[in-house]
Amino acid sequence: MQTLLRSIALVLALGYVATAHSAGDPAAGARKNGMCQGCHGIPGYRHVYPDYRVPRLGGQHAQYIVNALQEYKSKARSNTTMQAIAADLSDQDMQDLAAYYSAKPAKAAVAPAGGTKP
Amino acid sequence: MNRSLALVLSGALVLSLAACSGPSPELGKEKSVVCQSCHGVDGNSTDPQFPRLAGQYEDYLARALTDYRSGQRRNPIMSGFAAGLSDADIANLAAYFARQKNGVYDKW
Repeated sequence: MQTLLRSIALVLALGYVATAHSAGDPAAGARKNGMCQGCHGIPGYRHVYPDYRVPRLGGQHAQYIVNALQEYKSKARSNTTMQAIAADLSDQDMQDLAAYYSAKPAKAAVAPAGGTKP
Repeated sequence: MNRSLALVLSGALVLSLAACSGPSPELGKEKSVVCQSCHGVDGNSTDPQFPRLAGQYEDYLARALTDYRSGQRRNPIMSGFAAGLSDADIANLAAYFARQKNGVYDKW
C-alpha cells in the first residue's frame, strides 16, 4: 500500500513537471522574439507581396499562436518567411513566444482598433 | 437641356458615390452571424483555438478570408465558410471585426 501511494505520488509529480515544462514562459518568449520584431514589432508593417499588414499578435490566444507556428513549421500553412522562421523553433520556443504575445496589455496601452490605416 | 443634363450627371454622381463608398462594417456585422459561434459576437473568441479577430488589421483579415476562399490557406472549417463569400462580403466582414474593441493589439 505504501509503495502504491508512493507510485501514485511519483506519477502525479512527474505529470506536474511535464505540464509545467510545456507551459510557455512569457519572459523566455520576450528573449526569443528577436526574429518576430522585424515585422510584428512595427505597427502597420506591410507584407510586400501580396500587400497587407502583418497581423497584430498582442492579446492573441496562445493556443492559436502555437497552432499557427506548428502549421508554418510543417508547411501546412504557406508563407515562406514564416515557414523559414518556424523551422528553427522548438515546441518550447513556440510555447514561450505564445505566452509572451498572448498576454493582455497593461492598462492604457491598448492600441486603437485596426479599422483605420496608419 | 442644360437642366436635364445636370440631372443625369448628378444622378450618375450619386450612383458612383454609392458604389465607391467602401467597406461597410454594418453589412459586415449582418454577415458575421455565422462567424460568432467560434470567433465570438465581437471577434473576441473565448475558445483559444480560434483566433481573436477584434482589433486585427482590416487588410490582414481580408487577406486571410481571400486566401481561405482561393485555397491558398487551408482549414476545413474556414474553407467552407469562405467559399460562399463575395469580395464585398470579405471587405465588409474585415471592416466589422477590425473595428471591434478589446481585441488584439500591437506588441513588441
